[in-house]
Amino acid sequence: MTVLDALQATLADEHAALYTYGVLGARTSQAASPALYETLTAGYRRHRARRDELQLMVRDAGGDPVAAEPAYDLDGSLLRPAQLERAAADLEAASVEQLLALVAQSTGSVREWALTEATWSAVRRLTLGEGPETWPGAPELERP
Amino acid sequence: MALALVAPLVVAGCDIDPPPRDDPSADQAPPPPEDSELVIAVVAALVRARSVLEAATLAVPDLTPLLEPVATAHTAHLGVLAGAVADADLPAPAPARIAARRDRALAAVRRSEQRLLDEVRRGCVAAASGDLARVLASMAASTAQHGTALAGPQSGREGP
Repeated sequence: MTVLDALQATLADEHAALYTYGVLGARTSQAASPALYETLTAGYRRHRARRDELQLMVRDAGGDPVAAEPAYDLDGSLLRPAQLERAAADLEAASVEQLLALVAQSTGSVREWALTEATWSAVRRLTLGEGPETWPGAPELERP
Repeated sequence: MALALVAPLVVAGCDIDPPPRDDPSADQAPPPPEDSELVIAVVAALVRARSVLEAATLAVPDLTPLLEPVATAHTAHLGVLAGAVADADLPAPAPARIAARRDRALAAVRRSEQRLLDEVRRGCVAAASGDLARVLASMAASTAQHGTALAGPQSGREGP
């Protein structure tokens, strides 16, 4: 896998994340759950910026940025605030894993960017009710 | 220097897929020699950070429940990296001196964890091995999570 392949895979992941955040936000009441709404909105903005940066990086690497799918599968039963929060936490966990893959495949400024974004997503999980982990994004390193 | 990095860190090649869980000793290969120095630097930073945690816990035993998860993470991180460092290169940090006050001890721990995070990030960006960079990135993310948790409301109780 080349750096461009890894960038494209990360961009594809961000398209899905952005879609998911949009749906989760739409299912969240700003009046009833203002803190969660704010958290999801902040997550959406971060991932939107991440997608835009990835599109630029793909172009810089000589590629044509992969397009978003028309829609993505999402569990329709996710309606309660706790479920929505958990879904966002899971999304961030998946983002950490994908960004760590980009770290492995890149060097220099791209790697540093991926490291920063992976760290952001890992820390974001705390805001979404999760606890600190030993190996975020690298579950195979966990030992029983 | 012996560079027998353990488990997934040493899975050879550039494949970014996570290494297999069932046989972590398979396909072991040392990281590029140019990564030796940065691995030693990260191990030294981990050992130093752990000594600060131990000193803080001794100075303020009340902090034990808060700091124990951080120490556990450091131990796990050292478990992956320490095999890459020859015993002679393992640092013996000077004993940390921590005031027996909760707020000061926590502040010292936070500073120590931030120094560790900076070192791990440096190592990640500089690593010649992509697999090593990935491990260090996960360590950095973990360290940042624990640092954020230490700054959270549970840590905010004032007094000795």
